[in-house]
Amino acid sequence: MKRTFYIALLVLVIAGVTSAQTGVKKKRPLPYEYGRVVISNYSEKAGLAPVVFDHWLHRAKFTCRLCHVDIGFAMKAGATGIKASDNMNGYYCGSCHNGKKAFDDKIVFDTCSKAPEAQTRCLRCHSLGKNVKAGYDFSKFTENLPRGRFGNGVDWEHAEVDGLIKPLDFLEGISIKRQSLTVQKDFALGTKLEGMPDIIFSHKKHTVWNGCELCHPEIFVGVKKGTTKYSMTEIFEGKYCGVCHTSVAFPLIDCQRCHTKAVQ
Amino acid sequence: MKKLRTCLLCCAVAVIVCSGARDIEKKTFSWCGVVHAQDDWRNEFDDVCSRTQDAMIFSPDELRNLIARCDKLKPRVEKLDETQRKVFLKRLQLCRDLFLFVLESKEKK
Repeated sequence: MKRTFYIALLVLVIAGVTSAQTGVKKKRPLPYEYGRVVISNYSEKAGLAPVVFDHWLHRAKFTCRLCHVDIGFAMKAGATGIKASDNMNGYYCGSCHNGKKAFDDKIVFDTCSKAPEAQTRCLRCHSLGKNVKAGYDFSKFTENLPRGRFGNGVDWEHAEVDGLIKPLDFLEGISIKRQSLTVQKDFALGTKLEGMPDIIFSHKKHTVWNGCELCHPEIFVGVKKGTTKYSMTEIFEGKYCGVCHTSVAFPLIDCQRCHTKAVQ
Repeated sequence: MKKLRTCLLCCAVAVIVCSGARDIEKKTFSWCGVVHAQDDWRNEFDDVCSRTQDAMIFSPDELRNLIARCDKLKPRVEKLDETQRKVFLKRLQLCRDLFLFVLESKEKK
């Protein structure tokens, strides 16, 4: 009896120590959920469900820069503090969702309109916990795109290179006409682990989606190679590369996408 | 007297035509001298922030000048309505931060 008690106690202690070290395992999101952002700054106070924003559809049609620089969405969920009046004034979501702009030969529905016929449309965005039929079906939308191993299960980079998606980088009335970006050189980042291939960071691949100001200096403070010491722990916590590569861009568990330099 | 009246009428017509033309092509018609304060800040904002693409090729003096222009523009943006203020202050900050970042990295070299 005493022995059984001690065995049970030992099992409990081991279980406790193990869970304390590893924490609760995070559920990996399903392909259509990856990149999902729930925004609830003012929705619930207004008696509406929080907004569910799916990155996959928007990232297929627009560059990150267009939304996060030109339109001004913050990189952190909820940090923008979007109000219905902002959308109605033609900013943030209302930059495109104004009932006038057309994409793919479809007029983009207007958001937060006061028109009586628009009231039923609130659910298109304010949909957390609601059974809402989306305008685009994820499986159908992505069926002809190159496969990726993780995240949305789509290799967005190849989809863009192959011309299967053509993300817009300019929005009339919002964006500024600029010259095309002078692409900076690619560079290698050494790893600490022996046998682990170094990272080849491609400015070219990143500047397709982002301008300079999206990453510098908010995400990457040091421009001189070797100034900042990056650690995978910090990156997994959502710093540096992890700002995008834990939430929207291909996830960090896809090691070979970054650690590409052949080991000598 | 009649000449003066005709002259004043012509001036008034010219001003109306100029301001109308400026609405059609906001950026190109600044020659008539009718400055719309509302568009003025936006033109300056567009001009400054369109240069972020070339930030790496500017000299330190050019970068300092761009930062000063951002700082000068900020109080004007702060006077806009709530939505515009929120959007454009963030956008302006992104531009300024980038120029400063490139300037500091050049000065460290």
